[in-house]
Amino acid sequence: MSENAVVVCTFEPGREGLPEGAEEILHIGRGLATALSAPLHWLILGPLPDRASATAGHYGVSSLQQMEDPKLLPSNADACVAALSGYCSDQAPQAVLLHQTLDARIVAPRVAGRLNKAVVMNGISIEPNGENLQLTASAYGGDTRVIYEVGPGPILSFIANAAVPDPSEGDPVSVENISCDLSEITERIEIIEQARFDGPRLDDAEIIVSGGRGLGSVDNYPLIEQLAEAMGGLAGASRPLVDEGWVDSSHQVGLTGRITRPNLYVAIGISGASQHMAGCSAAKTLVAINRDEDAAIFQYARYGLVGDALELIPELIRAVRDR
Amino acid sequence: MRIVVCVKEVMDPDAVNNYAVAGRLEIGEDGKTLTQTAIPRLMNGYDEQAIEAALRLRDEGADFTLAVISAGSDPEKMLKHAAALGAQELVAIQVDPESLDQQAFARLLAAQIETMGGADLVLCGRQASDDDQGVVPALIGEQLNMPVITVARAVALLDNQVRVTRVTSDGDQVVAAACPAVVTISNELGDPRYPSAAAKVKARRIKPTVVQPSDLGLSPEDIAPRVMLTRQFVPEVQGNCEFIQGEVAQMADSLIERLKADSIL
Ligand SMILES: Cc1cc2nc3c(=O)[nH]c(=O)nc-3n(C[C@H](O)[C@H](O)[C@H](O)COP(=O)(O)OP(=O)(O)OC[C@H]3O[C@@H](n4cnc5c(N)ncnc54)[C@H](O)[C@@H]3O)c2cc1C
Repeated sequence: MSENAVVVCTFEPGREGLPEGAEEILHIGRGLATALSAPLHWLILGPLPDRASATAGHYGVSSLQQMEDPKLLPSNADACVAALSGYCSDQAPQAVLLHQTLDARIVAPRVAGRLNKAVVMNGISIEPNGENLQLTASAYGGDTRVIYEVGPGPILSFIANAAVPDPSEGDPVSVENISCDLSEITERIEIIEQARFDGPRLDDAEIIVSGGRGLGSVDNYPLIEQLAEAMGGLAGASRPLVDEGWVDSSHQVGLTGRITRPNLYVAIGISGASQHMAGCSAAKTLVAINRDEDAAIFQYARYGLVGDALELIPELIRAVRDR
Repeated sequence: MRIVVCVKEVMDPDAVNNYAVAGRLEIGEDGKTLTQTAIPRLMNGYDEQAIEAALRLRDEGADFTLAVISAGSDPEKMLKHAAALGAQELVAIQVDPESLDQQAFARLLAAQIETMGGADLVLCGRQASDDDQGVVPALIGEQLNMPVITVARAVALLDNQVRVTRVTSDGDQVVAAACPAVVTISNELGDPRYPSAAAKVKARRIKPTVVQPSDLGLSPEDIAPRVMLTRQFVPEVQGNCEFIQGEVAQMADSLIERLKADSIL
């Protein structure tokens, strides 16, 4: 039934009028809908993001749908799962696509479990393959890619972190309200203490300077902070620095840390393991500083400096301040 | 009270990394599996930390039976490690992992938990370091109608409640839920302990209970996959790195100049 839609689902209000990753996931949804000659729907759970109507137009969304209920907050997994499961039962979409946030990582599999549908995380791209869909996902922290063949009506989550081409023009799409009854739902998880959002997050930073084990000692990490500050950015780290207790885990970039997408990422004394790259390969420009000219990090870098981090960082701080 | 930890065997991810970084990671003739048979197989690191989370609850005085369960072709070695750490119940669900998907694994594990009389707490690693999927815990939660709390740095039991400190991009968040619940453990929990030599020797004699899917009331149709891995490949990175040459100070100046010229700084 090719008239059944490809559905992009978002459930975060987002910081700049759009949910995190909305354009990336709409871009993927657009591609799949075109390949299947199916309409593209965008389902929003909870409050309408400011730029939703205009953005829906840019990505050729034929129906912008909203389920509104005070219970529909990203952290209310029980409500979100009930709403999305109900929607899928009614509308039988060809596929539901989500951007992989921490909350989506709970909601997607729970919906799939409830409906007995296929579910895959870490998607990178998707295309039809005969009757089925074929999804390419990252595995082994990025060391490999796997192709999964998925059955009908799957719930699929994407780590959409590649740059999206500028979308086409399009008229704003008006919002259609989809009713949902969540009166029976009581969240089973209570938030005792909200995460304290103190200061800027790596996830949103435009410039990040990260240090790795190549710094040699915890005493050298302040150099990373000084360079980050001079460049007007934030300081990050590879996992060993967190494991060693040099920095707290909010600084960890990578697969199991922060997934960043800055304009500029400067990796210093970092070897370039795939699990680290999973958190910074979406950077527009990557600069690598490493004393080993064969370090894997240089494969991802736009500019490379081969040398000793401890000699180079002070010079970089000077050079930035000079200009 | 019973705490169940679900564990999976994976290829040592650090060894896989070393091959990958050296550009020597290869996929076999079947187009699906890594050829590096020399890579050791071990318990998924996050699952080991899930056992550690349970042991810390015991250290703090919680009184419970610790069950460690796994579905796979040969989880015995891994389960003996769990026994040496202090697990009292060990169950190996005998299946061919290649023929199953995550839904099937979750069904098997959930059915096993029900068969053994339920759990007050189910602990899992946040994801497996091979496929990175991390969906089995949430699927188990749906199967057993338990709330699912992910990425724990710390887990505490208070009366009949589980209290979890979660690692989020906005910092730590503390949540609570009534037991039973499913909780997934993140690396921030810290290093898992090693079993003592004496405990290891003792664990050698322990035999896990081996069960088949049919023992759990599951037919082949019940565990038929909806997701099939058809191919695996090693992605190519096209490097276009421009190496900046010169003395240290020169290198620094040229880099900053270029970043300014590219309007990045
Ligand atoms: C399941 C799993 C999840 C993981 N998640 C993450 C994650 O989220 N984030 C993460 O970062 N890692 C993660 N890792 C770890 C990852 O695999 C690597 O081990 C880690 O990223 C390596 O950190 P590093 O590059 O700082 O250290 P190393 O690999 O030790 O590299 C140090 C580098 O510094 C260079 N160097 C040494 N001295 C100097 C000097 N004086 N000047 C300049 N360069 C120097 C060396 O040439 C080397 O390239 C994960 C691993 C697993 C198995």
